Amino acid sequence: MRKAVRLVALVSVFFAAGALAQTFVWPAKWTTAKPGEAKPGGTLVDYTISDFRTMNPFITAEADSIPDLMTMNGLGLAMRDPTTGEWIPYMATSWEVSEDQTEITFKIRKGMKWSDGEPITADDWIMTYRIHMDPDVGSNLRDTFFIGDKPVTLEKIDDYTLKFVYPKPDAEAFAIASLSPWPAHVFGPVYEEKGAEGIKGMWGLNEDPKKIVTWGPFVVEAYRPGERVIFKRNPYFGEWNKDEAGNPLPYLERYQVNIYKDLNAALAAFLTGEIDVFYPRTVEHIAQIKKAIKAGKLDATLKVNASPIASSQFVVFNWNKKSNPFKEKLFRSAKFRKAMSHLINRQAVVDVVYGGLGTPMYGSVYPVLTQWINPNAPKYPYDPKKAAQLLAELGFKKKDKDGYLVDAEGNRLEFNLSTNAGNNQREQIAKIIVDEAKKVGVKINFRPIDFNTLVGQLLSKGDDRPFDAIIIGLTGGGLDWPFGSNVIPCRANLHLWNRSGTCLDPRETLMEALYYKGRTTLDFKERVKIGYRLQEVEGDLQPIVYIAGPNYHVAWNNKLAGFHPDEIISSIWGSYELPLLYQAK
Amino acid sequence: MSAYLVRRLVHLVPTFLGATFLAFFVLQIAPGDFLTQWALDPKIRPETIERMRHNFGLDRPLLLQYLIWLKNLLHGDLGISFMYQRPVLEVVWPRIENSLILVGLSLLFLYLIGIPIGIYQALRPYTLPDYVVSFLAYFGLAIPNFFFMLILIFLLVKFKFAYGWTPFPIGGMTSQGFEQLPPLRQWVDILWHAILPAFVVVTADLSGLTRVMRAQVMEVLGQDYIRTARSKGLAERVVLYKHALRNAVIPIIANIGGLLPGLISGAGLVEVVANWPGITPLLLDALNQQDLYVNVGIIALSSLLLIVGNILGDLLLALVDPRIRYG
Repeated sequence: MRKAVRLVALVSVFFAAGALAQTFVWPAKWTTAKPGEAKPGGTLVDYTISDFRTMNPFITAEADSIPDLMTMNGLGLAMRDPTTGEWIPYMATSWEVSEDQTEITFKIRKGMKWSDGEPITADDWIMTYRIHMDPDVGSNLRDTFFIGDKPVTLEKIDDYTLKFVYPKPDAEAFAIASLSPWPAHVFGPVYEEKGAEGIKGMWGLNEDPKKIVTWGPFVVEAYRPGERVIFKRNPYFGEWNKDEAGNPLPYLERYQVNIYKDLNAALAAFLTGEIDVFYPRTVEHIAQIKKAIKAGKLDATLKVNASPIASSQFVVFNWNKKSNPFKEKLFRSAKFRKAMSHLINRQAVVDVVYGGLGTPMYGSVYPVLTQWINPNAPKYPYDPKKAAQLLAELGFKKKDKDGYLVDAEGNRLEFNLSTNAGNNQREQIAKIIVDEAKKVGVKINFRPIDFNTLVGQLLSKGDDRPFDAIIIGLTGGGLDWPFGSNVIPCRANLHLWNRSGTCLDPRETLMEALYYKGRTTLDFKERVKIGYRLQEVEGDLQPIVYIAGPNYHVAWNNKLAGFHPDEIISSIWGSYELPLLYQAK
Repeated sequence: MSAYLVRRLVHLVPTFLGATFLAFFVLQIAPGDFLTQWALDPKIRPETIERMRHNFGLDRPLLLQYLIWLKNLLHGDLGISFMYQRPVLEVVWPRIENSLILVGLSLLFLYLIGIPIGIYQALRPYTLPDYVVSFLAYFGLAIPNFFFMLILIFLLVKFKFAYGWTPFPIGGMTSQGFEQLPPLRQWVDILWHAILPAFVVVTADLSGLTRVMRAQVMEVLGQDYIRTARSKGLAERVVLYKHALRNAVIPIIANIGGLLPGLISGAGLVEVVANWPGITPLLLDALNQQDLYVNVGIIALSSLLLIVGNILGDLLLALVDPRIRYG
């Protein structure tokens, strides 16, 4: 009783004469290069601001780790088409989804080989999954294999067929199944013999690069602690990855990532041509690059404000203040939070804090996730008059001798606001909020505190928690279902506004129900509809008052070519597909 | 002498225990721990964080953690780096080696430049050259190292824009294609990268050394035995280098022991700005992320070297100054 759901036409499967490799063709629409234009050879020099920690894919925890770089950020059986955002088969050739949507069976592409020449088969995924799932290994990916408290399981049907079984239908089913494999013939024997401890001892930074094996386009050639990692082309990758003209990929011979602890050092390196790509963070960075280009010192392409970044700054009010009923009542009032939203001058935040290079935010879905944004979700933009009116409706009509609003009982409208000390951007945001609030008569006492203390306050549980309001941010959030499993459900640990353990507002209950409904809907369009509804409820409840986020910019040296077309340069898709880059000069 | 040495070595134990315990304690009373940074990550479940906290032993009482660390230390094990998931020594040692190159080179510069300058100034006190050299040395002391390095990098970038090449590399420790070079060329390459940051490090210490040297030489030159040496007709060169200098360098030699911990604690923020992969960038990461055993490990190593350095300094002093005897 199974039906084939789709076999994406984009993948042309053919059998080359002799070799039985089933080829994946990288579409020409993912690059600005014209077909046949790219030449083999050359090096890309990129950079990162934190040192690498390990080459071991099972214990890596940081972004841009060496295993991530070797596998193009953890690609696997499926990948996303950056032009549509849809899942397409990558290391698989096709898949079938069962009727009840809890099983997905993948046909693995034949003819793929590890960088040491061994064939890639279902066993590699099985072993990779087993090691990730071992709690003693401590893999960061382990949590992604759990839906609620139940694990996703993986079965081998035959050497080239794998079946993922989900406890219930899941929005992130493909993200989970896109698991990047690691060689069972390398990790398997160690795991069988020495278990988790054996795995943890493998592939440290001082490992001999010759022992590192990957399926990806580049494999480690050398690592110099704190300086750089150099990858060289994996020749086996080109056997099953081709461009539309049939040329093997990647074009580049080497891929190097330098480590710059200080962003200014990275900028200097970019300006002098030592690195080929740079991601400006501030107006000054952009100005310097522009100046160098204009003066003819640097032949580079600069894309400013390519997209917003999937990160947010927001204010959260504490609903659990048993010891102060006045504040508790206030913070639990949606009207009060809407008034606060009206008091936030988001444009000033973008101008002052991000130097004009940011995007205002009104809800939890990041503006970069365009297909998810509900344009009709309620918004409460900067409008002090409306704020004053809403506050008057709450009973704050008179002002005391200091000019602050008071209610009929004489309670002054005053609360504390904090953020992590040393975060200049958040401190600037706080000052803008305090100033605007003062104008309508709301007294906000701003006091930055240590980050870890702040986290302790935010994550404290119960009905009397030790803060009033906090400015903080979260990052991440998926393309499949952009609402946080740790945020929306009332018992979740990042349900920052209310940690009493129960839903206090009927709209919270509704949001939780919609969250789970969307999470268990496999059909994308259906899911987007639920997401729209969720944003409407969220807008009306305003559990968190969103402020703004920075934008994504990128610059690259024109000695390299084959970058993304403008439409798909974003913080989500990046600026290039590694196999399609080539040296133009 | 040997009794003195034994006594000093016995004193080493409580000092070392005190220093490491204090470090352990102070690092741990800071709120949060290594795992707090993930507490706000929507992708990580709180159970996972609790499990890792247990695996790292961070849920144990403080004193117990310290005692376990001490016990492991006796076996030469400084613990595990949480960031790297590897033994601390394995993580820290390559960085210490890198720092050693930079600090060693700057020390060499310091003595090669500082001592002759001090003597030169002492021989011509209160003259224009004396003032000029003093001014420059104080300038070096006054300007923060990291800022000086930033200025030099800025100038190098300007230079590169103007002429298309640079006399020194813009940060880093090795050039592109370093791995393909023969060993000797590799060393030359590293030295070439180290010269500028080492020079910057020297500028901060130069004024101190030249002032001490200048004052010492001037004082010694005023002593009776120098007058005696001169009056018996010794050449000025012999008076200066054989009689005066040997006495004048005593405090500088006594200081050498104190430099030992500096050798491993790195060149500070210059390493960060010049992108030198020394111990400072690692230590900053470890402090930021509360990677407990890396921090305690570095503190333990440098306090050990400080204590040993002080003993060495005392012994060196006895060696060069016949008046000093330890009983």
